[in-house]
Amino acid sequence: MKVLPPTMRENKRYLAFELIADGQVSRDDLIREMFSSSGSLLGDLGSSECNIWLFAFDDLKGVVSCDREHVSKTRAVLATITSVKGKRVSFHILGVSGTVLGATKKYLEGVDIFNPEEQSRINE
Amino acid sequence: MVKPKFYDLNVYSVPEGKNTVEELAALAKHFGYRGIAITNPSNSCPPGKPTVADGIDIFSGVELKVENASKLHGLIGKYRKIVDVIIVYGGSESVNRAAVENSNVDVLSNFGSLKDSGLNHVLAKSAHENDVAVSFDLGEIISQHGGRRIRALSNFKKDLKLVRKYDVPFLLTGNVRSCYDLRAPYELMALAELFGMTREEAMSGLSTTAEQIISKNRPSANYVSSGVEIVSVPSNDAGIFLEEGDGQ
Repeated sequence: MKVLPPTMRENKRYLAFELIADGQVSRDDLIREMFSSSGSLLGDLGSSECNIWLFAFDDLKGVVSCDREHVSKTRAVLATITSVKGKRVSFHILGVSGTVLGATKKYLEGVDIFNPEEQSRINE
Repeated sequence: MVKPKFYDLNVYSVPEGKNTVEELAALAKHFGYRGIAITNPSNSCPPGKPTVADGIDIFSGVELKVENASKLHGLIGKYRKIVDVIIVYGGSESVNRAAVENSNVDVLSNFGSLKDSGLNHVLAKSAHENDVAVSFDLGEIISQHGGRRIRALSNFKKDLKLVRKYDVPFLLTGNVRSCYDLRAPYELMALAELFGMTREEAMSGLSTTAEQIISKNRPSANYVSSGVEIVSVPSNDAGIFLEEGDGQ
């Protein structure tokens, strides 16, 4: 199939995120949870406009892509995810970028995942 | 642009919530908050001391949950001098009414119910006059599903209309009971946009309104009494200047 010319492509935004989670989470489970939350908050119509997709995910860090006009709705969808397969999670969006490279370089490189329980012990 | 300072004034720690104050404070700081208020209910434990841990303010607060409005005023009087933030957990019409008519109350939370948004024009006017903030509990949008969430969103929409018309101060809170309930400020703003709040309004609900509540209850050194404050004190230098002026 021919690749679409740039002006005809969808305009996307890439959201770099970290997952504050109670243990490791698999990519497939996270995708399932994202779609179910987006379906429940925005409905089928809203989800199709938003076009949320888990672009990459590894070691509780990743990139979600979405439509350029619906970044705020995407954030809301991600914020409503409370658990993945019984493990409590909380999404923290580190930044939004127009390219995958920008999102990874600017927000994800060298980021350590925050663990509230360990962190408070360091402070003591 | 000046970086806004974000606050969440309705956070529960142990024994009411699941995490300790230190854990919550560390995560809140990581998420970009400038301060949180620990507001455990008055009947679960005595309110903690306000502290400043590295880079984040922890305010003391209390949540008053009463069945009947007549007990409320006594409790408010008891806690007003010792905590930074007094939150009244509403629900019934009489408690909501008593809370917004008492200017010593800072925040009215959970005023709605499944059937009713809880706020009306009389309460809104009174809240504006007594400077009592109402809180939009975004935890309901995060944790509820289906019918309850639909109800919460439509209640918030009605409340927002009244809040705009009568210029009632409002807060955005997350109803945080554990670390995994906490959301970053920009996520809360995105949730508030779902029911029609503008970005500027959401920003003020997370920062300026909360700041005003704290500064109202922690008067600065120049505060004398309500409406009176020391603007400037004539210093010795000014006196010397006058004497010199007289001599010439």
